[in-house]
Amino acid sequence: MLNVLKAIFLKELRVEFRNKQMINSYIILSLMILASFRFAFSIIDFSITQLASPILWITFFFAGMFSLSPVYKREIEEGTLDGILLAPISPSSIYLGKLLSNLLVIFSLELFSLLILFIFFPIDIPDILSLLILIVIGTIGIAALGNIISAISSNLSQSEVMLPVLLVPVLLFTIIMPSVSSTSEVFAGAHLLDVMQEIKLILAFDVVFLAAGYLLIDYILED
Amino acid sequence: MSEKILIANGITKSFGRLKVLNGIDLTIDRGDRYILFGSNGAGKTTLVKILSTILPADSGDLTIFGRKIKKPSKDVKTLIGFMSHEPYLYNELTAWENLNFYASLYSVKDKEEQIKNLLNEVGLSHRLNDRIGSFSRGMKQRLSIARTILHSPDIIFLDEPYTGLDIRAQEILNNIIIRLNNEGKTFFLITHDINRGCEIASRRGLLSQGKIVYEDYGGKNKEFLEKFRDTIKGEMC
Repeated sequence: MLNVLKAIFLKELRVEFRNKQMINSYIILSLMILASFRFAFSIIDFSITQLASPILWITFFFAGMFSLSPVYKREIEEGTLDGILLAPISPSSIYLGKLLSNLLVIFSLELFSLLILFIFFPIDIPDILSLLILIVIGTIGIAALGNIISAISSNLSQSEVMLPVLLVPVLLFTIIMPSVSSTSEVFAGAHLLDVMQEIKLILAFDVVFLAAGYLLIDYILED
Repeated sequence: MSEKILIANGITKSFGRLKVLNGIDLTIDRGDRYILFGSNGAGKTTLVKILSTILPADSGDLTIFGRKIKKPSKDVKTLIGFMSHEPYLYNELTAWENLNFYASLYSVKDKEEQIKNLLNEVGLSHRLNDRIGSFSRGMKQRLSIARTILHSPDIIFLDEPYTGLDIRAQEILNNIIIRLNNEGKTFFLITHDINRGCEIASRRGLLSQGKIVYEDYGGKNKEFLEKFRDTIKGEMC
């Protein structure tokens, strides 16, 4: 199992870093979103401490969602998914291998978005470690559910439209809202212990999404 | 008596209202080189996908190596090799990385040695570090042959394997089939290329309108060709 997981993880990373499909779409989309906010807020007075968190999570959410869209679609279009499914491996290894690779790529790209946010909106962060922990646990939820929905929607016509339709309502209330609220407090000077309630909620949904992906991927890929 | 390693009974498959397979009965013995011919749309690819467990049948029974297949188990999958129209390879990876990836999925022992030998056999050892996005269709097809037999499967399904291969590569493929068959491997191959197919067939079948309408044990090519033409004419009438 571990060897298979490692093989899929490394394959995903190699493919991603060589064709840069996810990386390019993430960078372009996150730049566009952050630049749009910068220009929109240049004409009004605003408190950056209050706005930084929603801006950051909207960027993570949309850039992450659209960059996850081709994760399974690409394999189906190139026929390689059949090749993997022919092998004597558990489909959950495919899910976990892809998920770990996506997490690494998306988290690295989120750090890039964070840097751009600091350039566009100069802001002091009292506790950077707490912010990074919140980003990691929020990203696990986005990637875990994003991978399942990407697998479900990849066989549907107009999958690019179906992905956000299926993903937005669920992620918004489970991951994004508690992440926005806890990150807002961290920007305002709070520490992790002060936002434990939100963290527990996000972690609970992370576990639910990971378990759902692990258990359902067999049936999803079978269809 | 030869060992029956694949038995299909009454296999049917429809896509929407279109009935593609209409009750296929087929038995493959260990060591067979079974070549199935048929015109376009006869259902050859659908049949080979069902037999290789990629696609489930609508009805009928499929038994492979004595195990009834509803959902293929890991040990049955290990015994099957399948080469499709699609090479099942990643353009972004090198020839070596592609084979190494599949070798890991199949837990191939001595994988480096195995990959080296196979790349040599399909004539791609000089391109092992090149990304296959730069390969021609024929080269990808040769690499796909290596991928298919990498884990030493007992039964190997080949779907139109000669498509895109030049004459030399077709000879390489036939040599591999003969070599592996001498080692006891079984082949089920579908092709349009009657001449190439008949060269290596130990058994031949004709698929028409979703049924196997004729089978022989590699008799005279002329008679088989006439049968094939009559079948196609019958389909058109």
